[in-house]
Amino acid sequence: MPRISQITDTTFDGINNPYVPKKDLDISPSLKLHREWDETLDPVTYEVIRHNLWNINEEHGATIQRISGSPVAMFALDLNPSILTEDAEFVYFGPYMQYMSGVTDTQVKWILEYRSDNPGIKPGDMFLANDPWVGAAHQMDVMLICPVFHGDKLFCWITNCLHQYDIGGITPGSFCPAAESAFDEGILIPPVKIVENDVVRKDIEALYLRSSRKPEMVALDFRAQLAGNMTAKTRIKALIDRYGAKTVKSVMKKVIDNSEAAFLSKLKKIPDGVWRDRTYVEACRPGDRRTHRVQIALTKKGDKLIFDNEGTAPQDGAMNATYSGWRGSVMVAINELLSWDQYFAVGGALRHIEFDPVPGTLNCADFPASVSTAPTQSMEISLYPAYNIISKMLYSDEELRQDIMGIGGTSQWPTTIFRGIDQWGERYGYILIDPIGGSIGAFAQGDGINTGGQARTPIGQLPNVEHNEQLFPLLFLYRKELPDSGGAGKFRGGLSAESCFIPHNTDFITQDTLSSGNAIPTSTGMMGGYPSTTNAYTFIRESDIFQRMKESRLIEDSSEVAGNPQHLELRQENFVQNSADVYAVRWSGGGGFGDPLQRDIERIVHDLEHLNITPKAAREIFGAVLDENEQVDVAATEENRNKIRKERLERLKNGQVPRDSHAGETAFPAGDNLAVYGSGDTARWGCAHCTADLGPIGENFKDACLRDDRPVSDSNPLVGDPAVFIDDAVNFRLFYCPSCGNQIDNEIAVTSDAVLRDIELTV
Amino acid sequence: MASYLCGIDIGGTFTDCVIVDGAGAVTTAKAPSTPHDFARGVQDALKAASGKLDLELDELCSEITMLSHGTTVGTNAIIQKRGAKVGLITTRGHNDVIHIMRGSRGLTGNEIRLVVHIPESQKPDPIIPKRLIEGVSERVDCFGKVIVKLNEEEAEAAIRRLLEKDVEAIAVCFLWSFLAPQHEARVKEMIADIAPNMFVTTSHELVPKWGEYERTAAVALNAYIGPLTTGYIAGVASDVEGLGYHQPLQITQCAGGTISVNRAMSAPLLTLDSGPVAGVTGSQYAGGLMGYDNIITTDMGGTSFDVGIIHDGKPAFSYTSLVHQYAYYLSKVDIQTIGAGGGSKAWIDETSGMLRVGPESAGAAPGPACYGRGGDIATVTDADLLLGYLDAENFAGGSLTLDRAAAEAAIRKIADPLGLSQLEAAAGIVKIAEFQMADLIRKVTIQKGFDPRDFVLFAFGGAGPVHAGVFAKELGVSKVIVPQRETASVWCAFGAAAADVLHVHERVNMMRSPFDVVELNNVLGELENRAKAELTADEILPERQHLRFALDMRHKGQINEVEVEISGSSLAEVDLPKLRDAFVGQYERQYGQGASLPGARLEIVTFRCRAAADTAKPRLTRADKMTATIDGAALRPARLVFWTEYSETIDTQVFNGEKLAPGNGVSGPAIVETADTTVVLHPEQTLAVDAFGNFELTLAASK
Repeated sequence: MPRISQITDTTFDGINNPYVPKKDLDISPSLKLHREWDETLDPVTYEVIRHNLWNINEEHGATIQRISGSPVAMFALDLNPSILTEDAEFVYFGPYMQYMSGVTDTQVKWILEYRSDNPGIKPGDMFLANDPWVGAAHQMDVMLICPVFHGDKLFCWITNCLHQYDIGGITPGSFCPAAESAFDEGILIPPVKIVENDVVRKDIEALYLRSSRKPEMVALDFRAQLAGNMTAKTRIKALIDRYGAKTVKSVMKKVIDNSEAAFLSKLKKIPDGVWRDRTYVEACRPGDRRTHRVQIALTKKGDKLIFDNEGTAPQDGAMNATYSGWRGSVMVAINELLSWDQYFAVGGALRHIEFDPVPGTLNCADFPASVSTAPTQSMEISLYPAYNIISKMLYSDEELRQDIMGIGGTSQWPTTIFRGIDQWGERYGYILIDPIGGSIGAFAQGDGINTGGQARTPIGQLPNVEHNEQLFPLLFLYRKELPDSGGAGKFRGGLSAESCFIPHNTDFITQDTLSSGNAIPTSTGMMGGYPSTTNAYTFIRESDIFQRMKESRLIEDSSEVAGNPQHLELRQENFVQNSADVYAVRWSGGGGFGDPLQRDIERIVHDLEHLNITPKAAREIFGAVLDENEQVDVAATEENRNKIRKERLERLKNGQVPRDSHAGETAFPAGDNLAVYGSGDTARWGCAHCTADLGPIGENFKDACLRDDRPVSDSNPLVGDPAVFIDDAVNFRLFYCPSCGNQIDNEIAVTSDAVLRDIELTV
Repeated sequence: MASYLCGIDIGGTFTDCVIVDGAGAVTTAKAPSTPHDFARGVQDALKAASGKLDLELDELCSEITMLSHGTTVGTNAIIQKRGAKVGLITTRGHNDVIHIMRGSRGLTGNEIRLVVHIPESQKPDPIIPKRLIEGVSERVDCFGKVIVKLNEEEAEAAIRRLLEKDVEAIAVCFLWSFLAPQHEARVKEMIADIAPNMFVTTSHELVPKWGEYERTAAVALNAYIGPLTTGYIAGVASDVEGLGYHQPLQITQCAGGTISVNRAMSAPLLTLDSGPVAGVTGSQYAGGLMGYDNIITTDMGGTSFDVGIIHDGKPAFSYTSLVHQYAYYLSKVDIQTIGAGGGSKAWIDETSGMLRVGPESAGAAPGPACYGRGGDIATVTDADLLLGYLDAENFAGGSLTLDRAAAEAAIRKIADPLGLSQLEAAAGIVKIAEFQMADLIRKVTIQKGFDPRDFVLFAFGGAGPVHAGVFAKELGVSKVIVPQRETASVWCAFGAAAADVLHVHERVNMMRSPFDVVELNNVLGELENRAKAELTADEILPERQHLRFALDMRHKGQINEVEVEISGSSLAEVDLPKLRDAFVGQYERQYGQGASLPGARLEIVTFRCRAAADTAKPRLTRADKMTATIDGAALRPARLVFWTEYSETIDTQVFNGEKLAPGNGVSGPAIVETADTTVVLHPEQTLAVDAFGNFELTLAASK
């Protein structure tokens, strides 16, 4: 299937096809843009105004949180404010929900192209928008977009995006796991002028609220968004009054130019090449037992980065994302790994980045695919692997290596959608927000962060158990971090956690599941690191929990109760949780970095002491030898690890024999276990541990390795048998150096998929 | 016999002592802090004060009617990770609460670099490792109903296991214990039986509030600093008693008043941050005497800039605090901090080639380049010196001679690459720092729904008055007060001397509208009884007791809470509509017009009683005579000062502030120096000495 850049006979206008802005926007000549700035700016004025702009954006976000006060805004921080130039380049983008960045500039550009003529863009206007084909992650992410004028010229844009409780569709809350298409989902709003001349148009507001089950909450959130924009607009205008439009614009342009310069200086340190990652999602609709492949590739050519999704499965069921959802996902990784030093002022970097996916795929779906669940599935699976490919690209440079981050926890969200009558006798419906507790994947210089939150939202807030129990008729039996849930590696991924609850003060709860990543781990490791646990639902009907409560014997794990375990499908609708039915939800953790056999023994000791890993994992995955007190025996461990490597050489003979060693210095490291020797066409791969040759640079180094295909349940002690959920067979493929037996890399793949060529380098 | 009020505050470098006599005369003294044995510094400071008063130490001590003391022992234990080995007993299944925290890697969003650069961040080292956390079967639900009774066998086994591991303190926090405390109370009893000398802290006693993470963090921290702090406080109490002080020692606390030694020893957490808070208390008291109800307090020292708010004569509170990345519940006077002080470093951003200031600080060692202690990086203080704001020969009352050449060399490293003159670079550094401070104050006031233009600003701390003229103007504040009478730099100790006894009692009991007045009054009545009992236990007679009641309320289903004051401990049915109006008014003031949901059900979350007892107050005396004539002794030689307003260096009049008399007035541009600080008076600003001897700056509002 062709990529967007290869399609010439289609208009990407955000109607049937996604909106993909052209380089030169088609803006009505009746709209005058403020385009006066100069290159010379004194450094003090620059810093004062820059600091002001950052604070304006922060105050904008704080205003929304204060007025909204909804759990969505306050806990999940599912919002983001931004400032863009007149031509829709990012000046600042807030530190909240990161994927909203990729849907922001496309919305503004669309308005410039399709609204500048009719109804026109004028001072005092604001536009409401949530159409995912124009630019929104899913229908619930509603944007309010505000042009700021200086005189009669469009000076800049202030925007915000805030997730709404309910915007219509067949399922309360508007996540619609069984939707056939977008017509089953919430209202779609291509940008529409809702504020005109600083006055809210009541007719449009009424139209907007009409489709919601919670119109009063949507109305309040709308006021929060309005106040946020007004605050930011007023302060930008005050800056203009004080310093002059030209000076303020010069600062905005310079912020972008600086971020561009910083970005380019990073690219200069990195070799050209292609980096790929492949993952899978499950259950695109109730009853679906297939796997759906998701692939992402990053091509670096000089000062340009190109992202594509070639190899990704076609759009299907109710799990898709649109172009802007995919782009927004990739931009999360760009913001956090490449633009953090510019505090997410990603505008400059974007001048050198192309997004070129294949339309009709599940993360670049055409209208009218169902997209309401995008952020929990197709977007997560577009986003987290992007950490991996960018990280692999950065690895060769020692300094940039400090910015590497593996895939984090909740890389697919195990959604628990519940509803019923609460302990106060009122109707309720929501999702369990606990998986926002997430986990952070491993770094190139250290372990990930246990329950460190979801990396895509650098500041989210996990509700207390007491918050959950006050808001909903639930009783939590436990919420705990899970030993071994983090991916093993030289540096371990952060642990994730599990929440377990029963209904309380209500007769029953009606539940839906909506998940993926329960069969095949989605928090995969990097450069030899192992994956984290999968998501998991555990459901035990008619348990003996009441008896235990009566006897004052509570549990710390669902396995302690007796009862009838019931298998939950990944999109199971309308099942009932009765009062003695114990329900546990586990979310995925952080992926590991580097070979677990390279893990420092001191770290294993620490992990055992702090219950990060079990003794079993220490032995089986990290190759440790423990004494009768389960203390690590250092010397025996060293010996055992050598034995394991030697055993690999003896056991695996897939046509490979020990290879010649490279002499001399490596040209540069390509991974934690992989080096490049030589240059030009004669460059070759080599083992970073023993310098064994791993083939010509033009071929896949994995082909020169010993290949060990193991069940995926060997990759993490908490990963089960995928056959429970999917028909495809899956394996965990490890690639060892044929000379020294060290692990070079691994991958998790559906057995019918070929070995992935994850790095191509131009030396 | 004279009767003295005495406040003692321990800082990192100095222990400050303020003595106020019955006539209102203020005596201040300092002694070096003694980190190995802080109690020594207290004695030394008292000794220094007695010397100034020509008294023997025991003579002074016996004549003190109230001695209040602020301590940083707890804070230091946390910073230096020298706290106790703590065990935690909690509800089975919920052992990991303080490890999981509340997501976001234990960040709040203020440490923006860590927020955006995940690989640099980590959660804090656990103050209680998992192996010292014991889960015990017991359960209370959201209605406060016991649904699983305490398993005492498990509890006893848990206690014994912790004792075998040699814990030095035990914290107890069960889910929903603030609604049904009996299980925590029982476990506490059991520990007392098994290990009578163990420091034990329970969450229902310390912070009976909703949210198990912040509650657990509070008891964990309380236990962590418990043994050290109680040892220290007991030591000071017996020391001063030995010196002849025969009244109950008062300990300053973070809610803005003082507490008894007993209370401080069971809740040492209350002493965290009490020093800076005492500064706000001092401002509140002094501001009241001067007739100011709305005050922004700013304290700029070497490494940080602290901001507090007083509105309607009462300090703004925060109910969640942060230490060592742990968020914990505690009602305290809200103080916001940024890393902008005299020591903030200037640097050039490599990619942009632009000038940046802070947040990194040169600290006290090596300190600014001009301190001549080996620092070679330009700081705000170096810039101040070059601009002529500071006098190299007369800094901090002449206690330190500043090295101008070192400052110049450091500034040159910034100026040259930027193509600026030294003075331009220095002015730029100062301006950036001042605007950062203005932004912080703006944030603090606006986030609480205040407009900074309705406030006067108090500037204290050695470096504050140097910059207040600019950041205050930037905020539209028209009046700045620089406290005098030698008190500016010992403001916090002064605050300790001015503090009331204060206990904050809280009870969470979530109720939804329509409210049941009987139920509501039951909770208030219970709080009232508790408050009165505690004050009575402190030997405070009923006529000196002052109780104020408030409710934290919100819209049902939403998160934002506001504190609504109510007139007493009993409400009638007719008061309920007024309660709703008060909520709406307060909510909209804080969160913006139209933010309140009309007709929505309301929820009361926390009931609060502030129980205060007034204490003897320092009586500041007004000058009996005001004079416009400036004594010749107040004139110092003029010096060259660079004024951004004129973009040039001007020979500027310098005054010795110590010699300015009440009624004196000075017009900017001018510099006014005192032993503690320097006031930079910009063009079009005036300084007047008020009847108390404080400096009052009048600024033209910024546009």
